[in-house]
Amino acid sequence: MKYFAIISLLSALTFSSCNKTLQEDPNGQLTGAGAVNSIPGLQAAVLGAYQPLKNGYTSGFASSAIVAVLMGSEDLTTHPASNKQELREMDQFAVNATNSRINVIWLGCYKAIQNANNVIANYTKVSGDPAVINPLAGEAYFIRAFSYYWLVRLWGNIPLITTADYSADVYNVKKSTPQDVYKLIESDLQQAEKMLSNTKAAPGRANAGAAKALLADVYLTEGGWPIKDASKYALAAAKAKEVIDNKGAYGFDLVPDLAQLWSGTPASIGTPEEVFAFQFCASCGNGNSVYGKSSMPSDEGGWDDYFTEINFYNNFPAGKRKDVTFYTSFKTSAGVINWQNGITKHPYYNKFRINTPTPGYLTSSTNMSTPIIRYAHVLLIFAEAQARAGAPSTDAYAAINKVRARAGLPDLANLSATDFANEVVQERSWEFAGEYTRWFDLQRLELVESANANKDASDLPPLRPISKASYWLPIPYGDAQLNPGIK
Amino acid sequence: MNTANLSCSTDEKLKSMFPRIVFVWVLCVPVLLFAQEKKIKGTVLDDMGHPLPGINVTVKGKHQGAVTDSAGSFGILAAKGDVLRFSSVNYEGDEQTIGDGSTYLMALHSKVRTISDVVVVGYGVQRKKDLTGALTSISTKDFKDQPITSVSQILQGRSAGVQVTSNAGAPGGNVSVRIRGNNSIKGDNNPLYVIDGFVGADYSTLNPADIESMEVLKDASATAIYGSRGANGVVLITTKRGKPGQLQVDFSPRFSSSRVIKKLDLLNAADFAETANANAAATGTSPIFTPDQIAQFRKTGGTNWQDEIFRTAPTQEYQLGISGGTDKTSFYISGNYLDQQGVIINSYLKRYAFRSNLQSQLTDKLSLHLNVSAARLQSCNTTGNLGRFSPVTQAIAWSPTLPVYDAKGNYTLNDPISSITYNPVAIAKDQSMRNDNTAANLMLGLRYEFIPGLSLDVSGGVNYTNAQGRNYTGPAVSQNLPSASRSSLEGIALQSTNNLTYTHLFGTDHRLTLMGVFEVQSFTSNGFNASGNNLTYPSMEAYNLALAATYGVGTTYSNYSLYSYLGRVNYSFKDKYLLTASLRRDGSSKFQGNNQYSVFPSAGVAWRLSEEPFIKALHKFDNLKIRAGYGVTGNQAINPYQTLTTYSNVTTAFTTGTVTPGILLGNPGNPNLKWETTRQADIGVDADFLQNRLSVSADYYVKNTNNLLLSVAVPAYAGGGSVLSNVGKVQNKGIELTVSGTPVMTKDFKWTSSFNFAVLNNTVKQLVQGQDTLFTGSNVGSGLSTQSEFVLIPGQRMGSYWGLTYLGTWKPKDAADAAKFGAQPGDARYQDLDGNNIINGADYHVIGNGLPKYSWGWNNSFTYKGLTLNIFLQSLSGFDKLDYTYAAGITANSDVRQATIADIRNRYIPGVNETSDIPAFSKTNKNYTLSTRFLENGSFIRFKNIGLSYELPKSLLHRPGITVSLSGTNLITITKYKGFDPETNSVTSGAGADVNQGIDYGSYPNAKTVTLGFNFKF
Repeated sequence: MKYFAIISLLSALTFSSCNKTLQEDPNGQLTGAGAVNSIPGLQAAVLGAYQPLKNGYTSGFASSAIVAVLMGSEDLTTHPASNKQELREMDQFAVNATNSRINVIWLGCYKAIQNANNVIANYTKVSGDPAVINPLAGEAYFIRAFSYYWLVRLWGNIPLITTADYSADVYNVKKSTPQDVYKLIESDLQQAEKMLSNTKAAPGRANAGAAKALLADVYLTEGGWPIKDASKYALAAAKAKEVIDNKGAYGFDLVPDLAQLWSGTPASIGTPEEVFAFQFCASCGNGNSVYGKSSMPSDEGGWDDYFTEINFYNNFPAGKRKDVTFYTSFKTSAGVINWQNGITKHPYYNKFRINTPTPGYLTSSTNMSTPIIRYAHVLLIFAEAQARAGAPSTDAYAAINKVRARAGLPDLANLSATDFANEVVQERSWEFAGEYTRWFDLQRLELVESANANKDASDLPPLRPISKASYWLPIPYGDAQLNPGIK
Repeated sequence: MNTANLSCSTDEKLKSMFPRIVFVWVLCVPVLLFAQEKKIKGTVLDDMGHPLPGINVTVKGKHQGAVTDSAGSFGILAAKGDVLRFSSVNYEGDEQTIGDGSTYLMALHSKVRTISDVVVVGYGVQRKKDLTGALTSISTKDFKDQPITSVSQILQGRSAGVQVTSNAGAPGGNVSVRIRGNNSIKGDNNPLYVIDGFVGADYSTLNPADIESMEVLKDASATAIYGSRGANGVVLITTKRGKPGQLQVDFSPRFSSSRVIKKLDLLNAADFAETANANAAATGTSPIFTPDQIAQFRKTGGTNWQDEIFRTAPTQEYQLGISGGTDKTSFYISGNYLDQQGVIINSYLKRYAFRSNLQSQLTDKLSLHLNVSAARLQSCNTTGNLGRFSPVTQAIAWSPTLPVYDAKGNYTLNDPISSITYNPVAIAKDQSMRNDNTAANLMLGLRYEFIPGLSLDVSGGVNYTNAQGRNYTGPAVSQNLPSASRSSLEGIALQSTNNLTYTHLFGTDHRLTLMGVFEVQSFTSNGFNASGNNLTYPSMEAYNLALAATYGVGTTYSNYSLYSYLGRVNYSFKDKYLLTASLRRDGSSKFQGNNQYSVFPSAGVAWRLSEEPFIKALHKFDNLKIRAGYGVTGNQAINPYQTLTTYSNVTTAFTTGTVTPGILLGNPGNPNLKWETTRQADIGVDADFLQNRLSVSADYYVKNTNNLLLSVAVPAYAGGGSVLSNVGKVQNKGIELTVSGTPVMTKDFKWTSSFNFAVLNNTVKQLVQGQDTLFTGSNVGSGLSTQSEFVLIPGQRMGSYWGLTYLGTWKPKDAADAAKFGAQPGDARYQDLDGNNIINGADYHVIGNGLPKYSWGWNNSFTYKGLTLNIFLQSLSGFDKLDYTYAAGITANSDVRQATIADIRNRYIPGVNETSDIPAFSKTNKNYTLSTRFLENGSFIRFKNIGLSYELPKSLLHRPGITVSLSGTNLITITKYKGFDPETNSVTSGAGADVNQGIDYGSYPNAKTVTLGFNFKF
């Protein structure tokens, strides 16, 4: 029987373990609000909130999705065949809700918003030095405003979500009007400019100057379609002026040489001209694929994702800026050929090529930063807003002429307010060619129809008549399926 | 019959010593003693020395009866001079007169249908004739004629209602095993594997040569004993045991050669160049190739990328088994070495396996068994590399005009014409994903027999796994940013099972078995990983991560536990009326509060009509039984911590060249998660005719799964991702038929054949409240498709594809209609459901289904003297494949810019070929991969094995016995499918993977293999 005793003992041991409750032991898992109740936690959440805005091909602005959604303007077009069906949809005003590129931007913005919401909801509960906590909260407000600003311009009426919490109600959310969205954007940026510090914690993070510059841009846009509140122009000018007047404090300035700005080497990254820019690290798995192969002709091994329309190139004023902006002679295995003899018979952008370690380096994962707001933007926002708010002031002339001088163009003088404003818009199209600006200018100034009216025969024509409905993208199919109320 | 008198010990003390202490939770045991009689104990063995459970023991002329337990033991009261009768199925039995002794060892000879009469069921064994549930038993002899290298191959095609699909042809590649379909969408649908009593074992590290038998439990009355893990069916695996008697040594070397099952018909370099130029001409761009270049390609032929990545791959395997033992102690020791090379270059699997099974009768009451096994699996490039990153996809995408290596001997890095990703040869060779997995399992069991018929089994098991990963991505597949990583994952699963079983024959008619079990399991895993990016010395791969520009590290931990109480009653009256009832209560730490515990009951009844006089009078049936069963099972196969909202770690750059860690909100947690429960009803009939030469078994079942665990997508505007919820209902129902028999049996020639067939129908019954569609795909064809490929809709089957109906090309007579869509003749034409002349989301609908509806397997052995021919066919049908591999090769999509598939020559060409339904090259054409254009019938019949083996006549050699065999695996496949292999799938893991079947996007194709094998018996 002694054996039996041994077995009983073994058995009893396992029984004793039953007293333990069935409890989860989530070692290593961060859960709930506890994750953001300290300064380091808050900081981790803020840094994390930037990530969806630049998460490779998955979400945000790190891939050609950023140009895809803006193809309706003249500075951008794509290959007429090849693998560019989704990009063509944008260029030809026949965007399908199932287009995956639109979802990349949509998801990136909303995922960033969700995480910013989490910080905004919790920062007041963190005890510690306000001088540390407030700038972090300011960044969250900036991220939320930045994301909503892209969403409202691309989609117009959108769900306005200000909480990070999930509930069954998310499936029944209604769309908010652009007016409501802009209201939130304005108040967020007003919070951000107050809370942020003057210096950037890192080149890829927002400071007070970036918040003010973005707010100025928002005001300028609100002056035009669809809000059309002309009183915003004065606010835009004033806000831009604040940035210009304090550029030293914020660390902003023009890079004197355009060739340095667009060198395709590390010399172009993190310059004072970056008011707000996304930074990348290709070797860390966080590369930027807007630059490099995506922008290069297939004659040189590129992907032909985006390049300029013919008329835009032809009308671009000759000079240093044109040379820096475009790439027109292709080095193929059969020798150097002119763009007219290239596969797509179009000039390409020089701005987005990679020249390190060798010129025209073929890569789709780059370290190049993507400047979303440059100091040149601030100058031109000021100039245009000033003119639209009343008359172009001396400061307004100074601002645009600074940009023109760098581009190798003569100074402007003695223009009517309307002509001056038009000149600025024209200047913006050249200065920011290919740079996420022109489409929004066409949209707010209701120029989309005219800009697409006289395309070169070799460019892709719109497949349907352009109306105001074409100004906005369809709500991505996935979300419209989940909540048919937002279709 | 041999009767041996062993140690004598009339156990008078037992009654008084019966413990009143620990096991109050078991039923009381009636012990019947009569004064004039004495207690007789005995053990019944077959002629191989295996214990025979389930043998009826009766005392002639008296109402005394007993039945042998799983150790073959019985106890009965009898007086000197009484005659004991031993009987079994179809066996009239032997008799034994009681003498002076009280302990007997009975050996029933092979004229008794012995071992096959007993099958392993959950937590015990049962006589086959007593079964009330649906179960398939597979033993070594069923697959001995086939070159088996993995456990899943044994299951394939051998049991009605069990679908085994080789999703990936890589050595050791993913295999899905589904018993009676998929109950769950989010949860795991793999059956529960129980190896020698260890619940939830990993079969992939098991050496198939060690398997003695496998039982597949299909219906709830059989699986409910596994409660929360029984919903997907249960596979019980019993490994070999030593046999008392002479030492036996088995040595089997095997040598194979494999090739890819098929290659696709692709354009040669010159045709490709001409086609690319035609595309350019049609879309207004400049020609890509000059006539000189094309002439040159015509001469040289260019590169056949398929030939570059596929190869003829050798495999060798050596199996050594040694077994033997005495009456009290026996052992089985085996060692196995497998070196299997893949048909894609630079892929292989090596397996080293060891097992030692020992059992010993320590005293007449106490016995012990100890099973120890260890295996190490070393693999390279057998997982990962899916979709656009697969060498197979890229072999189709890359321009045949490019060489593999440039003039300097380096990989051609860039394809300027077609593919936008890496050189297929570089993908295969300049990167490696190596996994060294070690698994060790120890099962120690002690069994104490209080009195014959009443025994306690206490067993403890440890399953230890250790996975070491070394990944390397070379410069050619990383845009010159080589990286490497190391990972380590240790898992420990512990199990303690306490099983008290009582079996008794009351009188001669009432046979009762009662069982109670308490079981605890816990699972812990601990992992870490480190990666180095932009390696300074790429040649050091993962061996010196410190020399890298940037690093990443991570650690993981997970833990959960399961407490279970279970009981079962088996009752049989006159061996005619059978009842099985079981109840299990499981508690899991994965859930919270009241949802932690759940009860899973089941009941099964059977009526052996063949025991009734009116059936016996027919003289038709050797056995005729009808069965019915009902039970509730669960599925908790979700990851721990799903009830909590957790953050994920992310890193992103704020300064060029470095990244900073941050946290990002993950999927919302759901504190209300609970068990997914499946209620299953089954009716079946078993019949044997013609002296057991023909057996037929048929089943009909209905399974209703409630509280379906689903990943409900969260709108992107609320952060995206998904939340795991209990929503919806699905129903699986089906018919299963098995016919086996021996159609021909003469002195020298024998044909045995076994055929099984199953129909499976499933329906989504209900979804999330207020939602009539739910997308379950994860956009498999990233780069090809733009959205989820799969949808669930109430009333439809699971695994439904969501897409457009392709109507061929627009023809010239319809030019005006085409123009309304912005299209022209030659462009793709899709069905415009809402008639708005725009093809968009509103035109998507269910276009097909990826889950096979019909499956069958047919195994035949023809034996002529020592020569055996085995032919084994397997078929799946009634499903569609979404052929992304073909789509990627014939359309331009986001990863491929030119067509490479030879069919493109037959495209619509204005003025030349205006009848083709392959769209023309045009600026206005739109290709949607999610359309019926790329949907193909996936049905296939495959010769899984054609093998010939010859056993050298014993007269030629005294010993050893030698068998030589030559077999061909997958040699012939009959299918209309255009891709490589209708059996492979691209979705093998991740949310919804189990119902998202049928997409083939560069999957690792299966191989056809020829094997030469030898077996030496000493």
